[in-house]
Amino acid sequence: MAGLFSADIENRGLILDPRTKLFVMLTLVIFALGGTGSGFAAVRCGTIVISVLPVVLLVTAKQYRKAAFCGGAYALIKAAEILLAPNVNGVLSSLLGMCCMIFVRLMPGLIMGAYTLSATTVSEFIAAMHRMHIPQQITIPMSVMFRFFPTVLEEISAINTAMKMRDIQIGGKHAGKIIEYRLVPLMVCTVNIGSELSAAALTRGLGTKVRRTNICKIGFHVQDVVVLILTAALYGLWLLGICEVIE
Amino acid sequence: MSAAASLKNVSFQYANGDAGALNELNLEIAAGECVLLCGSSGCGKTTVTRLLNGLIPHYYEGRLSGDVTVMNRRISDTAIEDLAGVVGSVFQNPRSQFFCVDTTAEIAFGCENMGLPEAEIRARIDRTVSGMHIHKLLNRSIFNLSGGEKQKIACAGVAAMLPDVIVLDEPTSNLDLDAIAELREILAQWKAQGKTIVLAEHRLGWLKGLCDRILLLENGSISAEFNGETFFSLSTDALNRMGIRAFQSANNYLEWKTGLYPIKPFTEHGSILLKHFTYSYGKHKAIDIERLAIPIGAVTAVVGHNGAGKSTFTKCLCGLQKNFRGSITVNGTICRRKNWTKQSYMVMQDVNHQLFAESVLDEVLLGSDDSETQTALQILEKLGISACKDRHPMSLSGGQKQRTAIASAILAGKKLLVLDEPTSGLDFRSMEDTAELLRSLDSDITVLIVTHDMELIDRCCTHILHLENGTI
Repeated sequence: MAGLFSADIENRGLILDPRTKLFVMLTLVIFALGGTGSGFAAVRCGTIVISVLPVVLLVTAKQYRKAAFCGGAYALIKAAEILLAPNVNGVLSSLLGMCCMIFVRLMPGLIMGAYTLSATTVSEFIAAMHRMHIPQQITIPMSVMFRFFPTVLEEISAINTAMKMRDIQIGGKHAGKIIEYRLVPLMVCTVNIGSELSAAALTRGLGTKVRRTNICKIGFHVQDVVVLILTAALYGLWLLGICEVIE
Repeated sequence: MSAAASLKNVSFQYANGDAGALNELNLEIAAGECVLLCGSSGCGKTTVTRLLNGLIPHYYEGRLSGDVTVMNRRISDTAIEDLAGVVGSVFQNPRSQFFCVDTTAEIAFGCENMGLPEAEIRARIDRTVSGMHIHKLLNRSIFNLSGGEKQKIACAGVAAMLPDVIVLDEPTSNLDLDAIAELREILAQWKAQGKTIVLAEHRLGWLKGLCDRILLLENGSISAEFNGETFFSLSTDALNRMGIRAFQSANNYLEWKTGLYPIKPFTEHGSILLKHFTYSYGKHKAIDIERLAIPIGAVTAVVGHNGAGKSTFTKCLCGLQKNFRGSITVNGTICRRKNWTKQSYMVMQDVNHQLFAESVLDEVLLGSDDSETQTALQILEKLGISACKDRHPMSLSGGQKQRTAIASAILAGKKLLVLDEPTSGLDFRSMEDTAELLRSLDSDITVLIVTHDMELIDRCCTHILHLENGTI
């Protein structure tokens, strides 16, 4: 479960610079989610290519199951949008169209988010933010989140197990209170862990006025260049479209 | 010798409770000394460690009076971050003291915060790692480490910052005997390097020959002081009278043969028979038991080294692990798996995960009708927690939470009760209470206890189930 949000550094596959990941993420938000430049056929095709990129990245990070699942789901919805939606009529058509539109636009960003979280270590992230001159006041809380998500997931799975033993589950005796029963222990546990975590981090000097150093080496490699060129090409197409070079 | 730390007339009261308060405490710790703080839960020993590393008054709020000085710095005037290179801290819970998700970054974390140059940090990591012989733990994911390995990384992270004073707050409460022996090595090394060490602990045996001075705390002040030699020659009775755990139990069951056998007289009346019980992680067979008969009504201790498959085995037995193979026969009738899950209950090491309701009574009644209120009250009475029946379960002490969980299992008519490390972090009195409770359960409830606590086993278990490498 913890693998969903944290990098398994023992078996990582191809490593991208965190800044590359952020750039791809931004591009996906602009083009896939925002629908920028969808008036041009070339940009539309480019957007599809870039939307598939997160799935490819998951494969390079050796997260095959996640890649297969996300890729399959995206392909299915995209296919439905292209093939099915124009061929049905009435209420069904608008319903299907809306669902497809929402998911097709959201999913690439979500998959990229899953990839970024699961293939970036905390120290890489801090190093990247540092290189981009982002102040510590922003970096530190965000890096705590990196550490906190996997822990919360561990807690949730422990609580789920406990609920199963008490026969509190969907279809069980207390189905109506499932959410309440889950939230109370979850909140108590996460608050405890969060407070212990901050105490431990403080005793090790997090937040001193001294300029923090970092032993983590990040930098752009061949794989980064390939991904960056591919992504930048989309902006290029869009510009060409605006300048009326292409239709 | 100069003083590494001194506490003068220190009183402290936590903002949100009475437990752990200090009362006019005076303490002087010499440089290079190894001091052990012991006493029952809530005596204030953790509070002293928090004063030394600055978490009090800078993080935990409360009323503080008196003077605390560590390495010539007044704690109240020094920001907690600036103490980082001076005082290093190792905590109890390995889940919540790591900031990074990989080990190398974790060891480097403190040094990075101090702003040391990269080359210096690398050199320090190398020195620390070779000093502690933990080369194979580098570049690993924190989530794949055992409790003992995590604690070693925590120690390495502290050592790399080269602090003068190191405080440890119950560092062994999640460790088995082997891991404790390795932690002892690390402490001995620190001592040889001339570092000042302050420990708060329940389990004491492993500190023999390491501690120069032992302080017994009671209600927030020092009630007795020993030197190492006198303290570690005290008899078990004398220790228990002071509310302290014995140094070591008469038996170390880990050295006994594997298999299931009685250690106390016990009249058998039927058994839970497991046949061809196997469970695999991928290709690796984690559990492989051909035949095992657990006596009904017995209190069986499940022992074995870390990674022997104790937790996996008990999880399978409770039906919490899917995809295990094997059959369970109770008194000659084969049990269907679903029914068996309904009859079994596990009290987890972190009980906080399994308390859901708003009051203790509601919690116990959760699985049943209101008509059973009377029975529930009787059970609470028997377990000695009827006084807190209207309190919120989360406001109880660790031992009381455990009892609440057990009470709910009894009322729900569970026939198999599994406890995972029920006494980790409990002091002598609570440990005895737990033992007493487990001994006095009804004779149709079968109890399995996964534990490293030999004292608990001596007190309440009738059988030993010794697992190694997933098999008997």
